[in-house]
Amino acid sequence: MDSRFAIKDRKALLRPGVYVGLAVIVALLPLLFSSPYVLHILILTFIYTIAAVSFRTIVISGQFPLAHAAFMGLGAYLSAMGAKWLGMSPWLTVPLSALVTASIGMLIGYPFSRLRALYYAMGSLFFGIGIIQVIYAGGSWTGGYSGLTGIPALLPGIGSKVPYYYFFLGLALVSIVALYRIEFSRIGTNLKAISQSHVVASSVGISEGGYRILAVGVGCFFVGLAGAGYAHYNMVLSCSSFNFMATLWLVMYVLIGGVNSFGGPIVGTIILIIIPEYFRDLKMYSPFVTAVILGIVVYLMPQGLVGLPRLVRSKLTERRKIKKVSHAS
Amino acid sequence: MLLEINGLTKYFGGLAAVRDFNMHIDDGELLGLIGPNGAGKTTIFNLITSIYKPTRGKIIFDGNDITGKKSHEIARLGIGRTFQLNPLFSDFTVLQNVSTSFHLHPKSSLLDIYFNTAKYRRNEAYILEQSREILKMVGLDKVENELAKNLPHGYQKMLGIARALAVKPKLLILDEPIAGMNPSEIDFTLDATKKMQQQKITILLVEHNMKILDLCERVVVIDFGQKIAEGLPKDVRENKDVIRAYFGGERVA
Amino acid sequence: MELITATLTNLLILSSMYILAALGFAFLFSMLGILNLAHGVIYMLGGYIGLSLIMVLGINQWLALLLTTLIVATFGIFLEKYCFRPFVGDFNRIIMVCVVITVVLQTSVNIIAGTQILSLPPFAEGVLRFGPASVSYERIVTFAIGAVLLLAMTWFVNKTKWGQQMQAISQDLEGAYLQGINVHRVSALATFMGCGLAAIAGCLMGAYLALGPFMGDFMLVKVLMVTIVAGVGSLSGIFIAGLILGSLDSILPLLVSGAASDATAVGILVVLLLIRPQGFFGHEIEM
Repeated sequence: MDSRFAIKDRKALLRPGVYVGLAVIVALLPLLFSSPYVLHILILTFIYTIAAVSFRTIVISGQFPLAHAAFMGLGAYLSAMGAKWLGMSPWLTVPLSALVTASIGMLIGYPFSRLRALYYAMGSLFFGIGIIQVIYAGGSWTGGYSGLTGIPALLPGIGSKVPYYYFFLGLALVSIVALYRIEFSRIGTNLKAISQSHVVASSVGISEGGYRILAVGVGCFFVGLAGAGYAHYNMVLSCSSFNFMATLWLVMYVLIGGVNSFGGPIVGTIILIIIPEYFRDLKMYSPFVTAVILGIVVYLMPQGLVGLPRLVRSKLTERRKIKKVSHAS
Repeated sequence: MLLEINGLTKYFGGLAAVRDFNMHIDDGELLGLIGPNGAGKTTIFNLITSIYKPTRGKIIFDGNDITGKKSHEIARLGIGRTFQLNPLFSDFTVLQNVSTSFHLHPKSSLLDIYFNTAKYRRNEAYILEQSREILKMVGLDKVENELAKNLPHGYQKMLGIARALAVKPKLLILDEPIAGMNPSEIDFTLDATKKMQQQKITILLVEHNMKILDLCERVVVIDFGQKIAEGLPKDVRENKDVIRAYFGGERVA
Repeated sequence: MELITATLTNLLILSSMYILAALGFAFLFSMLGILNLAHGVIYMLGGYIGLSLIMVLGINQWLALLLTTLIVATFGIFLEKYCFRPFVGDFNRIIMVCVVITVVLQTSVNIIAGTQILSLPPFAEGVLRFGPASVSYERIVTFAIGAVLLLAMTWFVNKTKWGQQMQAISQDLEGAYLQGINVHRVSALATFMGCGLAAIAGCLMGAYLALGPFMGDFMLVKVLMVTIVAGVGSLSGIFIAGLILGSLDSILPLLVSGAASDATAVGILVVLLLIRPQGFFGHEIEM
């Protein structure tokens, strides 16, 4: 049997050089694709990648937060309102609102951190819905149902999307590296330990409640950061982008990519955002493309898309073994 | 006295699993706790390590009142334990199981860990070294890269003990450590237990098997949540109440 | 007075609809541990199929209700066999499958029906007057159907052999197998009924309010809230929780405007949950 955490795959991880190469290629993409629409899609991909990876950080501690998109919305609205109504610079409000989002996430997580994971999932569902409702009820402060407009931009006066592209690329890289460090340090190990057996973890001195709250805090910080960045890029916010269905889609990005590996959420986000965009011309029919991708992964790839190379390899070795046997007999 | 238990009582609903239980362990002792199934032995362990909260009573460890403290705090104060059903970090390797258990000694702060400081790296190297030593002591060094869930049962129990040792406990609580082991594994565990005792670790253990009880310096017998006898193993074995509790008339062992 | 009767009937209708939908959801969840996130679209599907039958076949709404229930319930059996049963126990894949079903059904309805506001014709015409108050027959009928179904479900779960088997399965799946209960058949039956209930609720709400391709999302959230407040594995809790939520949703909008009433409703439920995280009839959670 294989480890749930695919720790053995560390040997299969591509060498660092490949990642640097990939980063360079991604950095050079704007030279190839100057269309603002394409850049927009890529920027959204960066933002949702941060959200997806941060979701997984919470998941490895054994908790399943069903409010992640709501926290993204919280970060977005807090930062937007701070900049719009209090006149603060977006460069200040973005990190600040990420911190506030993290604090709120931890505060909410606290009463549930000692309960079974199912109850955390259910409680977070409620809070997610609640946060959205509160935003809707915010009247002209939050724009209510019609959304918030006139949000100050991160790079005021700049019309081109290219600087934003690099900003979000940088943000994504920083976030991914930061979250990577957490997962592959003793902190991440402790989180995974708690999710495997909280009883054993406590007996060796790991504070289960403390680490659970830490995971939630980190996860909420980065998703709040992503949301805040989005607010000052899009300059318009609508609550419906952060509702329960949005959380479900984030969950999809992670599950489709593969919840058991660090790169899973990244792969899942990229595939689920970019591939349907190719079929944009199908208009109303394009969600079917997504459904097909989801269906294939659910039925054929239990480990998610990251498991694909291994799946292919094992099928090939199976076939080779069968050939050997049939030749021998 | 390293551990003192006074008037420990635990009710589950209307049922008293443990009632007015008193016991003490001295530094360096090897104490056995025996009793028929359902007598409350594991419940007492769970009360000591705070998996359950007592309804009444006090538990004092090394001068500290640990009644009702959180489990990880109790580990920090120096109590390590194994579990009867032996949960492990099943998706971690054998080595990882032990190295993760070195959470307390040496302790790196969160900042040290996150920023990969020299102190953290030194600690981790030391932890790996110590983990391997423990694995060698319990005989698991050859399988250090196997996933815990893929180990045979006896190995898993040894891993449970190895993990408990990583806490560098002053008091080690073993809950049926040799249940389900084959004779050579049992001998190994007996040896390991003797070695641990030589290293001045106080040991409290629960067992049915008489072989390990003979190692004990003192034995406490409980039935229906209450102490019914206490003393040297050979004395306890011939105690009428003990025999009645186990077999209602027949001889023990 | 008008306001009181209108609010009261609204309360009763919303509560009974929430309970109907939540019961269907709970059947699957408490028995097989399946979190059927596609329950919302099943509800939506019921409403749309009902309308289509009326429009295409020209039948009256009662017959359409009956046929819709049968069609959707049968579809539910198909879902259970091919989409849920292969993944029992694997939460991640269940969620994925439900999203697939949701996307496929929502997109299909969106394509066929568009986002125009449609609704089913009312199930009864006219108004009943008693004293100073008056209630539309439609409301009475809607609530009556709901109430009858709820009573029928209660009777079924508690008094019939099938119902007791369902209870047995929800308490101990393996034990039920060992007792010779045909778990597959009973869970197919549970899905049949659950989807049927959702379909009926969809038609009734489609007549009472309106249809929309995303009405399922709305109901799914309500169902989840009801199930959580009711407590895991408890059917009687659903009645109470559904009543509470129905009451909040009908009374609060009178006191607080629009979005704030939704927020307050959730807030009250959150407080309830903090006081008793396991819901009303849930099991004690000792860590």
